[in-house]
Amino acid sequence: MQSINQLFGESPFTHMVDHVRKIHQCVKLIRPIAASIMAGETDKLRLLQDDMSRTEYEADLLKDEIRKNLPRRFFLPVNRDDILSFVRQLDRMADDAEDFAVVSTFRKLDIPADLQPDFMALVDKVVQVSEMLLDVAEDLARLQKESFEGPEAEQVLAKIQQVCHMEWESDKLSRRCARHYYSATGLEAVTIILLEKLCKALTGIADHAENVGKNLRLMIIRR
Amino acid sequence: MTEQVFLILALAAGFYMAWNIGANDVANAFGTSVGSGAITFRQALVFAAIFEFAGAFLVGSHVSDTIKGNIVSPTIFADQPLVYATGMLAALLAAGIWLNLATYLGQPVSTTHSIIGAVIGFGLMAEGLDSVQWHKMGRIAASWFVSPLTGALMAFLIYYTIRKVVLRSDHPARRATIVLPVGFAATCFVMFFSGVVDLLPRLLPNLKGSALHATAVAAGLVTALTGGWVAWWYGRTATMAGTLEEQYHLVEQRFGRLQIITACYMAFAHGANDVANAIGPVAGVLEALKGNIAAKTAVPTWVLFFGGLGIVIGLATYGYKVMAAVGSKITEVTPTRGFSAEFATATTVLVASLIGLPISTTFVLVGAVMGVGFARGFGAIDLGVVKRIFLSWVVTIPCSALLSALLYVVLRSLLA
Repeated sequence: MQSINQLFGESPFTHMVDHVRKIHQCVKLIRPIAASIMAGETDKLRLLQDDMSRTEYEADLLKDEIRKNLPRRFFLPVNRDDILSFVRQLDRMADDAEDFAVVSTFRKLDIPADLQPDFMALVDKVVQVSEMLLDVAEDLARLQKESFEGPEAEQVLAKIQQVCHMEWESDKLSRRCARHYYSATGLEAVTIILLEKLCKALTGIADHAENVGKNLRLMIIRR
Repeated sequence: MTEQVFLILALAAGFYMAWNIGANDVANAFGTSVGSGAITFRQALVFAAIFEFAGAFLVGSHVSDTIKGNIVSPTIFADQPLVYATGMLAALLAAGIWLNLATYLGQPVSTTHSIIGAVIGFGLMAEGLDSVQWHKMGRIAASWFVSPLTGALMAFLIYYTIRKVVLRSDHPARRATIVLPVGFAATCFVMFFSGVVDLLPRLLPNLKGSALHATAVAAGLVTALTGGWVAWWYGRTATMAGTLEEQYHLVEQRFGRLQIITACYMAFAHGANDVANAIGPVAGVLEALKGNIAAKTAVPTWVLFFGGLGIVIGLATYGYKVMAAVGSKITEVTPTRGFSAEFATATTVLVASLIGLPISTTFVLVGAVMGVGFARGFGAIDLGVVKRIFLSWVVTIPCSALLSALLYVVLRSLLA
């Protein structure tokens, strides 16, 4: 009667961390992409977009893996719906990152020099949000081994709060950018539209990252 | 002549059952400890052998009495002891065959359920509905529901307490120096109490009733206090500083040591309850052959010894393979979780053994694992497996009953 070992299904938590790691790999790509936009390197942008596309595809595979390993017969320490919505939000982060890469290849952009620092600051902030989220997710996997209990849980909750705070900061940065490019004189309308699309993708990443953080908070606080 | 044939056949069939228990069931009792890395495979084998034997030898008689005397009524067979002997033999063979078939098909079947179904089957075939003591059988069936629930509740409470008291505090390592000796003492108490309460009457036949229980409680308490104090003294100088993560690691490591004891406790309880599945019917055959079937005599010591030996041989010849397979796949069970599940299971099974209730250790262990799961202890528990275990239990009773009834008819015509 060797069935005790079969009682333990594959835990979704390690896969979840893998997923976040892959998503962060996508988000990290927006830094070189932004730099190439500034430098006007159209060929390099194509390559980077290919790179993004491949990474996003790999993230999709990981997402499917998690969903596949989450049958209803599994009894989990967290709400199943929280895991599913966690995965969905992460997926949207990657989608927005890919959008950013795609938009960058539409047309060679001439971004005025005085807008560049603000734009780069927004890019940096968004990458930082994703970095923080990865940190939180790695903690979560460890926390699951400690049954979501103890001072360490408090620390993770504080980190999640920080993710939310950084999202707010990225919002402020994007508003500043918007004011800048809408009020600038001598910018082509098409440049403004593309800048708007780029910024929208960036804030989208941060928004979804915040939602992932809130999801994680729900998982920790109660089942 | 017939008597000798009966005796040899019964011993052979009983040995085969005991071998089966050692080969297939012990692995579950030790799997969680081996899986968590608390004990090495080699240690597990030695401890399992010693404590399975001790449990079987010291506490095994209660459940054996139940199996030979409380399912079918022996008094009905008072003037035809050979019928009873044939039936018990048929039951043993049927349970053994059913177990082998189920193992071959990869189904999780319990020896307890098999033998009880088989005894009922023979009773129904031989003397009809009246031969089975349904009220006692009802109590046993009820215990099959109650015991996993008890295991679950106890495991939940223990793990929840460890979480709240040790893991949640700012100084997990310091808290562990108190909680660990308590766990150790509790284990010592139950194990020694049950061992003594059974062994003493054999050494000192005059000791009975409350005096016996008082002595056993005293023996248990003395061991528990000594054990607890030693555990405390041993752990008092342990490092208590370090980051939280280091402290958690330390706590798990020390619970791992405690798990050596609870694994032995599991084996003890398992031996105490399950040996009866093999030797209960053998003892019944022996009584029938002596002609004192109705008198509820104690199970002879040598039969208990024989059953314990059968389990150990099963473990040594085949069980080690199963144990390696079960243990290597359980990595989810950290020592705190393993301790909670094992302590809850072993205590439930041991108490059931003292009351004489034949229950399935695996059932209780599954319940206990679920209990830890309710305290958010595991990444994912496959409820599909729980359902399968439950289903195979429902199927086992009628199947082994049918098989035993058939074998009884065959044996009766052969031996007549």
